[in-house]
Amino acid sequence: MKKNSRLGLAVVATMALAGPSPGWAQSDADRIAELEAKTAAMAEALEALQEELAQARESGTVRDTEELRSEVIKATQYAQRAQRAATEWKDTTSVTHLAGYASAEYVEPEDGNGAFTSNFNPMFHYMYSDRLLWESELAIELDENGETEVVLEYSTIDIFLNDNLILVAGKFLSPLGNFRQNLHPSWINKFSSAPPGFGHDGAAPAADIGLQLRGGANLFGNRKLTYAGYIANGPMLVGEDGEIHGIETEGVASDADDSKILGGRISFLPIPRLELGLSGAFGDAAVVENDDADLDGDPDRDYEVLGFDVTYQWQNLDLRGEYIMQDVADASTSVAPEGGKWESWYVQSAYKIGASANWEGVVRYTDFSSPHADESQEQWALGVNYLVTPNALIKVGYELNDGLGGEVTDADRWLIQVAYGY
Amino acid sequence: MSKLAVKTALLATIVAGGAAMFEPEAQAAEPTATDEADPMTFARGAKTWSETCARCHNMRDPKELRDDQWRAAVAHMRVRAGLTGQETRDVLKFLQESN
Repeated sequence: MKKNSRLGLAVVATMALAGPSPGWAQSDADRIAELEAKTAAMAEALEALQEELAQARESGTVRDTEELRSEVIKATQYAQRAQRAATEWKDTTSVTHLAGYASAEYVEPEDGNGAFTSNFNPMFHYMYSDRLLWESELAIELDENGETEVVLEYSTIDIFLNDNLILVAGKFLSPLGNFRQNLHPSWINKFSSAPPGFGHDGAAPAADIGLQLRGGANLFGNRKLTYAGYIANGPMLVGEDGEIHGIETEGVASDADDSKILGGRISFLPIPRLELGLSGAFGDAAVVENDDADLDGDPDRDYEVLGFDVTYQWQNLDLRGEYIMQDVADASTSVAPEGGKWESWYVQSAYKIGASANWEGVVRYTDFSSPHADESQEQWALGVNYLVTPNALIKVGYELNDGLGGEVTDADRWLIQVAYGY
Repeated sequence: MSKLAVKTALLATIVAGGAAMFEPEAQAAEPTATDEADPMTFARGAKTWSETCARCHNMRDPKELRDDQWRAAVAHMRVRAGLTGQETRDVLKFLQESN
């Protein structure tokens, strides 16, 4: 009886463990067949999966997933670096900047040979933080023989002391007057040539070497004051045939008279577009070269400069005028005892026309007076400019010159110039 | 006469510059945090730019230079044109936001 009971329980348990079944009526053979079918289906599915996996591996999908992850990391790092690079250039303490101007020109005198010429004036700006700027300009020109001349136009270190004062040290453009320091670049000058006396070796000092303090301050309302004061080596005098041939004001790195020049300019702007300037300088000068020979020990003599300038703009009208004078006193014991006065003044009117104000007419009158008759010149200059861009101009002009008969200062000229400031 | 002009210029330089020495305001040539927050900086810069640059030359397009290049160019013009530090910061802000 016990044996029969255990057998009965085993049968019941086995039937229960067999799981869901169509019913007690399903035979063991049927269940086995069903299980075999399921096993076969699973094996088939597994085989398909394995085959799919093998194909994926073969096609590189699995391998690429890892590579792709690596590339995403690299791309993210690159993007972060690029983001830093996109902003860091704005935040550097040092900035370098190349500027300047260049021009090509054709000049034809009425009784001479016309010729092309060209010049290039690169300017270098090196700025450290917002306190210091080193700026230099080279004047690279071709002379009549095709030789290239390179002149250090200026080279200064500018230290911004505060909002209203800048210390300038080195070779600087003369702050006396307006034309030489601000208007002479070819893309700014509205006529192809400088007014007589405002070029090199004329009435207007060109440059000097020393120290300068300059800046600007706002007064009441829109009124403004600009100022510049300097101490520098000053000019040297060149003698020829017993007289002073010219005043060398290009900025010389010596001081034969051992007496520094003091000078300055102050300008007042009662309204924003009207500027009134007053300039002056005084000191000593000495003849250091006579008949192309160096000279030592010639006596010092008084030297002074005086200038006035005015600028006014109204809509498309631009008006300018300037007077400048250099005076050298007599020195009875000098190889060139007689002094002299070089003075020049000009007035200029320019007016822009056209839908884009890209055509400009210019009229200028200049009167230059020198101790040497062959240098003195009176000039009317008429010009038409086409502004390709505000800083690229094509200038066509004609000079009506009145000087000593037979001299170049008496010859009328055509001038065509292409100028570009960058 | 020239000595009078020189003395006037030197006196103005010393007085204006010396007085400014005692001003506590920023000396920076670039827009400061105060300038960045001041909505009028741009407007002041545009006004100064239009009134000052044409005193000597044709107006340049702000798009001619990048922000960093304008830093050096405007510093150069500060020296040339007698801009104050505040005017320089205003103009630089205007140019950098207009290029």
